[in-house]
Amino acid sequence: MYVELKNINKSFGDFKASDNISFGIEKGKLIGLLGPSGSGKTTILRMIAGLETPDSGEIIIDGKVINNIPASKREIGFVFQNYALFRYMTVYENIAFGLRVRKNDKKSIDKRVKELINLVGLEGMEKRYPSQLSGGQKQRVAFARALAPNPQLLLLDEPFAAIDAKVRQELRSWLKEMILKLGVTSIFVTHDQDEAIEVADELIITNNGKIEQTGTPLEIYQNPETAFTASFFGQTSIIGDYTRFKTFSKVENASSAIVRPEFIKITKKGEVQKFRSSAVSGIVERTLFRGSNIELTVRVGDVLLTARRALDEPIISVGETVDVFIYRLFVTVGNKARIIENESLRENSIVI
Amino acid sequence: MKNEGSKIVKWLLIGISLLFAFLFLLLPLFTVISEALRNGWAAYKEAVTDEYTISAIWLTVEATVIAVLINTIFGLFAAWSVTKFYFRGKKLMTTMIDIPVTVSPIIAGLIFLLTFGRQSPIYPYLQAANIQIVFAVPGIVLATVFVTFPFISRELIPVLESQGTDEEEAAALMGASGLTIFRRVTFPHIKWAFLYGIVLCAARAMGEFGAVSVLSGHLRGKTNTLPLHVEILFNEFRYVPAFAVSSILVMMAVVILIIRSVVEYRGKGAE
Ligand SMILES: Nc1ncnc2c1ncn2[C@@H]1O[C@H](COP(=O)(O)OP(=O)(O)OP(=O)(O)O)[C@@H](O)[C@H]1O
Ligand SMILES: [Mg+2]
Repeated sequence: MYVELKNINKSFGDFKASDNISFGIEKGKLIGLLGPSGSGKTTILRMIAGLETPDSGEIIIDGKVINNIPASKREIGFVFQNYALFRYMTVYENIAFGLRVRKNDKKSIDKRVKELINLVGLEGMEKRYPSQLSGGQKQRVAFARALAPNPQLLLLDEPFAAIDAKVRQELRSWLKEMILKLGVTSIFVTHDQDEAIEVADELIITNNGKIEQTGTPLEIYQNPETAFTASFFGQTSIIGDYTRFKTFSKVENASSAIVRPEFIKITKKGEVQKFRSSAVSGIVERTLFRGSNIELTVRVGDVLLTARRALDEPIISVGETVDVFIYRLFVTVGNKARIIENESLRENSIVI
Repeated sequence: MKNEGSKIVKWLLIGISLLFAFLFLLLPLFTVISEALRNGWAAYKEAVTDEYTISAIWLTVEATVIAVLINTIFGLFAAWSVTKFYFRGKKLMTTMIDIPVTVSPIIAGLIFLLTFGRQSPIYPYLQAANIQIVFAVPGIVLATVFVTFPFISRELIPVLESQGTDEEEAAALMGASGLTIFRRVTFPHIKWAFLYGIVLCAARAMGEFGAVSVLSGHLRGKTNTLPLHVEILFNEFRYVPAFAVSSILVMMAVVILIIRSVVEYRGKGAE
């Protein structure tokens, strides 16, 4: 493990911002720290950087405990949530700052700054001040500035938060490419699930100052271990009593169940549906054109489900009575989540 | 119709303001100058180059320079600690900084008189150490420093507050020392507010009368500042010299005003 946190605790007054946090990161990986607002993501990043001191626990980088090493000696690159560019310095001076502090000679500084300006594609903007840049350009400067002294670890706090959706998409792929090219171990914070899944090699899910789960995006998506992770991805619907839907085996002490839109099949009454006998009836309350699909809100008794239908399927209108079939769902027992499949799927595979 | 009305209001307000400024600000200045020159240039020159006047000028300059120096340093420290750190009693400290502007200067003078004068319990020790504060130059400097204490920190606190600590943290993470961070990140940000604070502090220090008057003892040639000297001359019915000395203060004020405008203008331009 290149970076390791062991039983880290941190409180602000009575408030526990980090509650026994432990995780490890391999060298060269791009890690996403994902969790809702206020879950303690920034706090973790700031403790690794040395801007905040943990109350207890160890932070280890490259085999050394660094708890007592001041921030200025840790050689960690940090991109702040709001960039924190030096507003009285030009783009060039911003990027050169970390090198000048190190008292590198002028020539090598100039060479390195030019190299970085090329890397982030800001040629011709060297003389501009941060106030004369767009959000995306500022982000690139912040990135170049953090990379200039060749840090072994790069921390990014919501690097795309202040950027509009379109540019954000471009910057995401750009950043991933850059980091891959440079091979620098990186941790980036986000509260956007899509962003995390798309960019990160591995995810660390935080909630209420605790770590809920770690793993690759696919692992976490497919096998959420806790109720929180199960409900965090996608437009999940919560079902109190899932046995109202047919052919699910009963789980002892189940508190509720969570379904994702892709777990649900909605069909018109006359449509062909293999598992018709295991479907229940529901009434469509809302339809919404989502561009690539149609989102349906369907009521089954007191449960509201969000599901999707492809554009080439027959159109369903509001008020229509439809068949609702659920392939699988996450059943939560206490804080744990467990996936269960619809029994009729299994029968079917036996038949085949 | 509405336009007409607002036009009248506009000119009415401007007219009243101008009249006020003329009556209460410009007219007295003209009076000072014209009274000073009433007996001709020679009389004016004599009053201005008088031995006591010269020593009063020097004392005023001395007190002003020391007050500005001390308040620059402490104002910076106070503003810095109030905005960049969190500590117990921070609110109290912010309030304390403002005491000198809320307390009447006369009372401030009396406080120092009681603290360092004959009645004070520490007076014998000061006496033994041969330190004279009351009715001497140190008392005057002390009073001036006290009265002008908040001017620099009060200019700095809002700018430091609005800046936050992000840029400093970013600089620290790149390995910069505290001094480098101050010099390259913080100072450029507060530069104009800082200069403006110094100008205000200097202006106030030069004109200080109340607190200084209590502590000075009015020893001509020794503990007389310009404002005190004017008062003495005036009380002796020597109007021409009184106005002549006043005109020196007026000129110093005008110089400060010009510097102030330049600082303000450049500061706005820098933003
Ligand atoms: N310096 C501080 N003093 C007091 N409380 C703090 C401090 N820093 C953070 N907190 C609290 O700790 C909790 C976690 O904060 P943190 O900034 O780590 O959240 P986050 O996950 O980064 O949230 P966001 O996505 O909104 O940035 C919050 O409830 C916050 O109020
Ligand atoms: Mg945050």
